[in-house]
Amino acid sequence: MNWPPMLMHVKIKNEKKNFGIWLPLFLLFPLALVVLLVFSPLILIGIMVLLMLGQERWVEWGLRCLWAAIVSSWALRGLQVDVEGRNGLVQVNIV
Amino acid sequence: MSENKKKILEMLAQGKISADEAYRLLSACGEGGPEKSSRAEPDTRVKPKYLRVTVTPNANDERTHPERVNVRIPMSLVRAGIKLTALIPPEALDKANRALKEKGINFDVRDIKPDDLEGIIEALGDMEIDVDGSHGEKVKVFVE
Repeated sequence: MNWPPMLMHVKIKNEKKNFGIWLPLFLLFPLALVVLLVFSPLILIGIMVLLMLGQERWVEWGLRCLWAAIVSSWALRGLQVDVEGRNGLVQVNIV
Repeated sequence: MSENKKKILEMLAQGKISADEAYRLLSACGEGGPEKSSRAEPDTRVKPKYLRVTVTPNANDERTHPERVNVRIPMSLVRAGIKLTALIPPEALDKANRALKEKGINFDVRDIKPDDLEGIIEALGDMEIDVDGSHGEKVKVFVE
């Protein structure tokens, strides 16, 4: 089973500063769930309005996008980006 | 292509051997080498986990162009990305196809189907792309 990303480490290093931060992504999932629950009545009303107006394709597309966002964010674990240039270094690591 | 097969083809091109001889030699190579390696393949081949893209500067030019890039993309993200092509509107796909054609690449983006995904990912295991940039930087794309 694929586990969702738990932490994101961002590191920025240049002549002036050396900065690193661990972001707890696992805390975002309950937050996202709460936001989804709070906005679900509005989302449902929006879907119903679009269905009544005969715009089913936008409903389908919106739901597909939502699903795609969830799947993509779930698959981010293991992503690593290091960019080193003349002005410094930027590292992003998702674990 | 194995070294032996390359040599046989070179000999054929130079006219040292006839087409029949080359065919016989190539068949012999096919029965010997590759079969052995394909038998060993299931044990040694590991499912690719990451797609890696690296850019390293030229050692002589490192002072003027010191940019270094190292990107590791999980295969699960690549899978998700290919599935996302279903979200691209048809007009955008037409545009992409036209742009590819302009660059001399005759490929229809619509041909990438999620069903072919596993095959594509497996094929990536045998692939390694090396590109030398205009400033001497080396770009490498491979899976690990």
